[in-house]
Amino acid sequence: MFKAKFKEAVICFKAGRVTLPYPFQPSEVPPKFRGRIEFDARKCIGCGGCARVCPPRCIVIEDIGELARITFHLDRCIQCARCYEVCPEKAIWPTDKFETATTDKSDLKSEMLIWMSSCQRCGRCFETDNAIDKFRTVRWRGRGPGEESKHGIYPAGPPIELAKPEPLVREEAA
Amino acid sequence: MVAQHELLTKLWTRFPDVLRHPEEYVKDQIVVTVDREALPEVTAYAVNSLGARFVISVATDMREKTGDFRFSHVVAFDKQHTFLVLQCHVPPEDPMVKSVTPMVPAAGWAEREARDLLGIIPVGHPDPRRLVLPDDFPEGVHPLRREYRYNERFASAPQNAPPRREAPEGTTVVPLGPFYPTLEEPAYFRLFLDGEKVVGCDYRGFYNHRAIEKLGDSELNYNQIPFVAQQICGICGQAHSCAYCEAVERACGIDVPMRAKYIRSILLELERIHSHLLWVGLAGHILGFDTVLMQVWRIREPVMWLMERITGNRKHYSSNLPGGVRFDIDQDAAEDIRRVLDKVEAEFKAVADAVAVDTTLMVRLKGVGILTEENARAYGAVGPTARGSNVPIDVRVDHPYAAYAELGVQIQYQDGCDCWARTMVRILEVFESIRLVRKALDDMPGGPVMAKIESELPSGRIGLCSVEAARGEAHHYVLTGDDNRPYRWRVRAPTYPNLQAVPCMIQGEQLADVPISIGSYDPCFSCTERVETIDVNTNQIRIYTRRELEEMSRRKSWLKE
Repeated sequence: MFKAKFKEAVICFKAGRVTLPYPFQPSEVPPKFRGRIEFDARKCIGCGGCARVCPPRCIVIEDIGELARITFHLDRCIQCARCYEVCPEKAIWPTDKFETATTDKSDLKSEMLIWMSSCQRCGRCFETDNAIDKFRTVRWRGRGPGEESKHGIYPAGPPIELAKPEPLVREEAA
Repeated sequence: MVAQHELLTKLWTRFPDVLRHPEEYVKDQIVVTVDREALPEVTAYAVNSLGARFVISVATDMREKTGDFRFSHVVAFDKQHTFLVLQCHVPPEDPMVKSVTPMVPAAGWAEREARDLLGIIPVGHPDPRRLVLPDDFPEGVHPLRREYRYNERFASAPQNAPPRREAPEGTTVVPLGPFYPTLEEPAYFRLFLDGEKVVGCDYRGFYNHRAIEKLGDSELNYNQIPFVAQQICGICGQAHSCAYCEAVERACGIDVPMRAKYIRSILLELERIHSHLLWVGLAGHILGFDTVLMQVWRIREPVMWLMERITGNRKHYSSNLPGGVRFDIDQDAAEDIRRVLDKVEAEFKAVADAVAVDTTLMVRLKGVGILTEENARAYGAVGPTARGSNVPIDVRVDHPYAAYAELGVQIQYQDGCDCWARTMVRILEVFESIRLVRKALDDMPGGPVMAKIESELPSGRIGLCSVEAARGEAHHYVLTGDDNRPYRWRVRAPTYPNLQAVPCMIQGEQLADVPISIGSYDPCFSCTERVETIDVNTNQIRIYTRRELEEMSRRKSWLKE
């Protein structure tokens, strides 16, 4: 009885203080850590590979007229970094950020809007600007009156009224 | 091989007319079609006379393919290293099978689940109440049938709540749950007490059924499921994703590189180490001996940091895909693992030595929560729960997966049948796991870690895989389908059979010993987000929604400020 208690006491005293000073001092994460994902609208070519492989459907890609909208529902993210693995442009990557707790779920939602180029013949959108900019071509693309010669990168795009997409899982009973 | 043929010969001589189309396109896995009427007899003969262990029942809606339902019992012949799938066709106009539960008690929940989710009625089941579906789910809706979508919502039908079991005459009912007191998880036991002695119990669980199987056969694809499978459990995630991947690989004949198998084994063993350490701490906590909790969890933490360094996350390593693993363990990581294991081994040895002679713990654990060998076998108990009851089964030896055939596992088992025996099994397994990780690091061959899969995966194949998770055998059944996803994916977590053995384990116990008895098989329920209150004056029941609860908790924190 006392022998066991003595042994346990030795273990406790030998360990000493092990508590980390975390909230008062920053906590380091290892280099391989998969934290909150970040993305670069200037690199994204809108191929949708990340949305296809994302297991919890955290990444949703939609075509809205001239725009490709990629929505990241980071509250659903399971930090598997499959998006990073498949992205051909490395436009999305996991960071070392892990303090994502919030009282407002919408803090964890972010959007990326990418311009689509439209076909000169039929006028329909077919590919993102970023993808076409990768080809070394001399070209002219119009974007309505007054913007004839403008081309290249439009990271955020102008604010436009968008229809609210249907949520993935309906929260209220129909 | 000889043993397998012997088995089949025995089955065939006993039932010459009802067994058809034996198939063995996957090694050590035999699929036989049986006449519907004869299914319970054949299963009971396999389990009770040939010494098989009942694993799970799988019901599948095959109406799109063959026009009927398929109902199968999976049994495992542990000594012969073989799985046997006994399947029968169930016509949709008459969806019923004869129940096997009166002869094989381990099948009780599996058949009730088939009734709930696919509407295949087990005729003659001793306890045909609702098991999985919520209390207010409409009758006659079976969500795993293919006509229902994964996100379909139904109107509430509170009149369908399953009846509670009547308490025996002269007993008091003490509720334990729905929020289980020591593990902070949802499980609801109604204990029937005579004085302080437990004379029976009633269980209601599945409060947070997440419909993962439905997602698996309607929404996700082959490569997405491993990441959802690892979310099944917060601790044995690697075991579930590994079991799913191996089941797909076996069904489709994918040859996984040896190095990938070794990496899977290393991660699984590290997972077992931190899970068992977690349990030893929790057992101390349940008994009110928090020194054990503090010290064992202190020892455990470096393992979690190690996992974070080598996989990128403390838990949910996201390492498996059908065909291999996503990252390699290089020389530096191997050195890191060895260094951490040396430290953990030395420190845990000191704790184990102290705990093994601690009379306080012995008094609380010895002779408590007796699960006899007969009951452990009858209810198909798995993992340390079975091994503590003198049933030397271990999937790593009996149905080797990953690199365990090469590593050579020594089964740790005890004959005490009580909580103490289960504790000792887990402590010994920690040291065995440390030995296995070291051996795997030494023997690990070079080469690629991912197989090349060039063609589409074939459809209509069955793959089974059991993985020895820390809590016991996690079993996955995959029937491959079209559209790059399984047609049916069935998961059986280790707590499923162990929980069914609880009523006979706590029979005759003192009330104070019930938490540690239930805790001693390391249960893994899941989390809930729903609270029900009953006004005792009016008997009015009010269920708070998540939103209301959130608002309440916020209001409270605002008030504090």
